[in-house]
Amino acid sequence: MTTLTPDRTSVVVRRPGPQELHPVRTHRRRRALELSLAAAVPLVLILLWQLAAAQAWIDDRVYPAPSTILADGWDRAAAGDLWPDVWATLKRVLAGYAIGTAAGYALGLLMGSLSLVRAALEPSLDALYVVPKLALLPIFLNMFGLGEGPQVALVAATVFFFVWISTMSAVIAVPTGHRDAGRVFGASWWQMFRHVLLPASLPSVLVGARIAAGVAVLVIVASEQIAATNGLGHLIFDSRALFQNDVMFVGIVCVAVLGVLFSELVRIVGRLLTPWAPRDRGRGQS
Amino acid sequence: MRGRRAYGAVLAVGVLLVSAACSSPYESDSEPKAGANNRTIRPVEGCGDTSWTDPADLSPTRLPARCQAGAPPPQPLPKTRKLTIATGTLSAEYVAPLQVALDKGEFKKEGLDVTLKVLPTPDALPLLAKGDIDAQWAAPEAAVMNGIRGGFDIRWVVGNFSPDPESKSGLWVRLKKGESADRVAMAGRRMGTMIGKGSVIAYPMEQALEKHGGGLDKIQYAQLGSADVLTALQNGGVDSAWLLDPVWRRVDGEPGYTFLGGQPLGEPLGGMLYGPSLLNDDVDAGVALLRAYIRTINTYFISDYKQDAAFVSYLAKLLKSDEAILRSTPSLRMDWEIRTGTTDRLQSAYRAQGVSEGDPLPESKTVNRALYEEATGHRS
Repeated sequence: MTTLTPDRTSVVVRRPGPQELHPVRTHRRRRALELSLAAAVPLVLILLWQLAAAQAWIDDRVYPAPSTILADGWDRAAAGDLWPDVWATLKRVLAGYAIGTAAGYALGLLMGSLSLVRAALEPSLDALYVVPKLALLPIFLNMFGLGEGPQVALVAATVFFFVWISTMSAVIAVPTGHRDAGRVFGASWWQMFRHVLLPASLPSVLVGARIAAGVAVLVIVASEQIAATNGLGHLIFDSRALFQNDVMFVGIVCVAVLGVLFSELVRIVGRLLTPWAPRDRGRGQS
Repeated sequence: MRGRRAYGAVLAVGVLLVSAACSSPYESDSEPKAGANNRTIRPVEGCGDTSWTDPADLSPTRLPARCQAGAPPPQPLPKTRKLTIATGTLSAEYVAPLQVALDKGEFKKEGLDVTLKVLPTPDALPLLAKGDIDAQWAAPEAAVMNGIRGGFDIRWVVGNFSPDPESKSGLWVRLKKGESADRVAMAGRRMGTMIGKGSVIAYPMEQALEKHGGGLDKIQYAQLGSADVLTALQNGGVDSAWLLDPVWRRVDGEPGYTFLGGQPLGEPLGGMLYGPSLLNDDVDAGVALLRAYIRTINTYFISDYKQDAAFVSYLAKLLKSDEAILRSTPSLRMDWEIRTGTTDRLQSAYRAQGVSEGDPLPESKTVNRALYEEATGHRS
């Protein structure tokens, strides 16, 4: 709390607020409020949807009520019909993500460290970056044939660019002073990487990796619609073609859940890998 | 205090919404409300005994129903009615009756302003179900059955065609060593098809496969583009394929290939689907549309219409297709009637394919013959 005393010299007296007086309690309350809001907003939206379906504001045969979707999803999961598609998508995402992240990080590191490599490769990679990745699917189909190859390659190509760009820019942004300090101490290439470049660049790289996690799920769903016989993308578009709207929405919900869980997993892994970085507490930032 | 107020507000909104969210008042409209079945049917000039055949007659040699050319005569609606019909394509031969009716002004004579709109079935079906489009030139596919089961008011109201006995559009197989046309083992084969799951073709496919020890659940599918099906069959990528007109001509007579079967003769598997707007809201327009369609068949598609070279040229121009290709396949047997049990057999094939859930729908929920019977003056 701040009070302005009616004094000639206008002295500002700042009295301690609740944050200073009861820091633990205030933080706990704030955190509880944030968590409540994070849960309440989607809950209210879902309840509104349920209400709209129940009151026939929307046609629940075209847009099934959340309760219907939940019941249908539960039945499918219990009957074991849902898991093969979830597993198929998850496998493709994980495999493609691992390949794309490793390749993107390696090349980003190389290009960030060596300006000649950057000069040689950056224009070509920039040109490829702007190509919609889904447009590469026919090429991957020709290269890898039918099966898992094209799907994994597409996810890998998508993830690669996000990780490559964030790694390269993070390495370039490492202050010269840090590198000089390494050189002064006679650091080898590995020591320079291990003690200077990696800790300085990893937080930014992980931001790129988190964005890529969401985009990987996005691209696999589109790809499975075109060239797969299973997976959540195939489930969504197949059920649309068969006019099974409830199944379609189950697929959409599963994709959303998968995206959130995968993104959270990457965030948690990032926190564990970079304890020195400013803490990203996820939804709430207080 | 502020925090408590916020929690209270959230809680209140939740309780309010939950209490309001009781059971859906949205009534299923799968039962037609208006009297498509309770209308007065009067005899129609030019449509006599030959204008109706017993739906239970599944004979492959049955002649399709026909009226005289120009019959049934037009009965213009008092006010012009705009109708939108969705179709998956405008260039296929089975769309020709609609295209000719449009071109020759048969719809106009009924007071109908018809627009043909190209829309894939998955896009068109929700629009038909909601009444945003009036009719769909398609087939009672698995999606249609699922829609009806889900409470939508959609009915198959008129047939389209059955194949000529000379047609070999259907299941073709590459013969392995020691196999002949009579002795082919289909179980475990890989079949190439451009037709997706849940298509009406599942039914003749199942029939043809069952005759040779296969089944829809005993083969592997490879869904390919139209250009790739034949290539895959020829280069061994698949060892059987469902070949459509006129692609089968390319392997017909070639050694090592044999035709195992196609769409049943005398049994149309597609035609017009009506949504609530023509089934319930404006039955007169629904009957008028079918009257124009049936008149077009009786006038221009009597039997072997491809004998008439000028008409084939006209059709090729109208459909924007290659005249030579059109000429290379036999005429379709245009047939507006719907056979008894077709939708039962289709649903059985959909179940075998694993694309249909729940109990099979009775024919009363899937087919409505009353409209074409009224158009031709037939009393059941």
